[in-house]
Amino acid sequence: MGENSNSGTVPDAVHAGRSTEDAVQPQGHAVRTANLWKIYPQEPRPVEAVRGVDLVVENGEFVAMAGPSGSGKTTVLNLLGGLTGPTEGTVRIGGQEITALSDRELARVRLKRIGFVFQSYNLLPMLTAQENAEFTLLLRGVPARERRERVRNLFDEIGLEGMEDRFPLKLSGGQQQRVAVARAVLGEPDLVLADEPTANLDSATAEALLDVMEQLNRTRGTTFVFSTHDPRVMERAGRLIRLVDGRIADESTPDGA
Amino acid sequence: MRRASGRIWWRIAWRNLGRNRRRTALTASALSFGFVASVLMIGYMHGMMEELVSNGTRVATGQVQIHAEEYEPERSIHETLGGREGLDVGALLDAVEAQDGVAGAAPRLYGGGLVSTGDETVGGILMGVDPVREEVVSRFGSSLVAGRMPGPGEIALGDEMAESVAAGVGDEVVLVAPAADGSTGNDLFTVSGIFSVGVGAFDDSYALVELGTLGELMAMDPGRIHEVAVSVDRVREAEPAADLIREAAAAVAPGLRTEPWSVLQPQLFFIVTYANSMNWVVAAFIFGMAAFGVANAMLLATFERRREFGVARALGTSGLAIGRIVVYEGILLGLLSLAAGLVLAVPLMVFIHENPIDLSRFVDTWSFGGSAVRPLLTVEYSVVGPLVSAIALVITGIAAALLPAWRAVRVPPADSLANR
Repeated sequence: MGENSNSGTVPDAVHAGRSTEDAVQPQGHAVRTANLWKIYPQEPRPVEAVRGVDLVVENGEFVAMAGPSGSGKTTVLNLLGGLTGPTEGTVRIGGQEITALSDRELARVRLKRIGFVFQSYNLLPMLTAQENAEFTLLLRGVPARERRERVRNLFDEIGLEGMEDRFPLKLSGGQQQRVAVARAVLGEPDLVLADEPTANLDSATAEALLDVMEQLNRTRGTTFVFSTHDPRVMERAGRLIRLVDGRIADESTPDGA
Repeated sequence: MRRASGRIWWRIAWRNLGRNRRRTALTASALSFGFVASVLMIGYMHGMMEELVSNGTRVATGQVQIHAEEYEPERSIHETLGGREGLDVGALLDAVEAQDGVAGAAPRLYGGGLVSTGDETVGGILMGVDPVREEVVSRFGSSLVAGRMPGPGEIALGDEMAESVAAGVGDEVVLVAPAADGSTGNDLFTVSGIFSVGVGAFDDSYALVELGTLGELMAMDPGRIHEVAVSVDRVREAEPAADLIREAAAAVAPGLRTEPWSVLQPQLFFIVTYANSMNWVVAAFIFGMAAFGVANAMLLATFERRREFGVARALGTSGLAIGRIVVYEGILLGLLSLAAGLVLAVPLMVFIHENPIDLSRFVDTWSFGGSAVRPLLTVEYSVVGPLVSAIALVITGIAAALLPAWRAVRVPPADSLANR
């Protein structure tokens, strides 16, 4: 199976029972930050990675954050995902303030509401593709038969059929990233945070992966927030946010707004 | 939300062990060798204690003894079983030997006296015995270096006593002993045998005389004896056997005191108890050293997997689950090591048990509390050694994993994902 097969297909496995023609139009804020700061204490002087970011992402948006290296893209994603705490300011995910939560509560929020796709795939190397993809389902206590079925269906649709028992080292970069996307979306999170997901992929594989994510966004209403340098991602984004030196420099939409 | 299946953590832990097989093998070998060392050391200690108890009880005293209530500690010749009238010795022996776990019982009469050949005289303990019954209870008969056990009018001497009075088999010696009626008995005896049980207290001080003959010399009626020594099938089970014997003896005659070797020989009992408790110390010491190596290797492995732990945390895995993975690795490593350790330890145990290493060129026989241990490096078969060592090994695996687990739990997801 080539890596580019099935590009543009709709992954029904993550929204069983919902028609692919039904575009979801969810309402409300998926993400809202207020005066978000992240300062790393460092010699000779502290590093201000994020400086007073006020960001609102509506449910169902497909948002890309762009900016030069060191502009704070990854740090903002980490703050949104509760992977690190802000020095100042607040983060709300689906209306829930997460900055004051304990580690355990944050883990629960991530498990139930947030999916992650990382630049370097970050599959767990001791788990097979199937086990990696179903990892969050397993954490949520979904029965084994249902997990297997959902993974199989999604793998069929994103070109990973027959790869279930392979370990990450036996998969190509594109295949690994598709497993990572499967892992991020199979738990049906409200929000997927993707940190430069196409950075290590060839052009065709990147396009195929974006097709998958775009259709998940369109059909299921999953909110995507990317950090990226990739023009292909920026082109597809419903909104492009430019970060410079930890601040939002400007925002734009395809219609020029 | 239902809890995740615990099997996945075991699966991850197991596969993690397989990722760096050389390191896992080296780490496991530290635990395996610790296990082998612990099993052999405890087996050796166990064997030494078994021999100490066996020699201390099988040489002369038996594992259970019956006396008159007031016999100890003065050991007066008048304090015979059943009082001055004595008792039906045959009935008592039958009752005792009918109990479960009893191998045999032997009646004894004691007296102090002088053994003289004319030129040389030594003081000693005269022990009236039934030579046939003693075969089961004591090692005097099997320790004869010359001659045989005494019959009527005969005497068997310890080899050191025989040397002191310059007497050999067939020689005549004079015995002089205080009698129960206040007189002093004396008579001429022929030396029938020389014994050497290997314990100085017996070899230089004991003289065996046929029970009836000594009774006559001490003016004691045939029904009067000072002691019934009992041999049990299993030395370690002397106490429950003593309880049965006590009940059986009480049914024959009142006023008897029945005690196991642990009461009769408190010093011996102390050292055995002490040595047994040392098993845990030995295991703790050996595995304590191994634990440092294992913890170090696991810390390294944990550090190498910071990013993976960060990913798992980012995906919603709780810190507790991360810690469980590392602890499970410790448990699985312990079980792997245990399997390898058993494969090594069991054949070694059998080999050394079957082929004890003679250390007599380096050390002499060691005597203690009326007992002796031969200079042999041997290992006794025992469940205790492997069991204690296995428990210690698994505990070590878990303990060694605790610090790495704690470190893994505290991995900050964002930092680890950024390789900070």
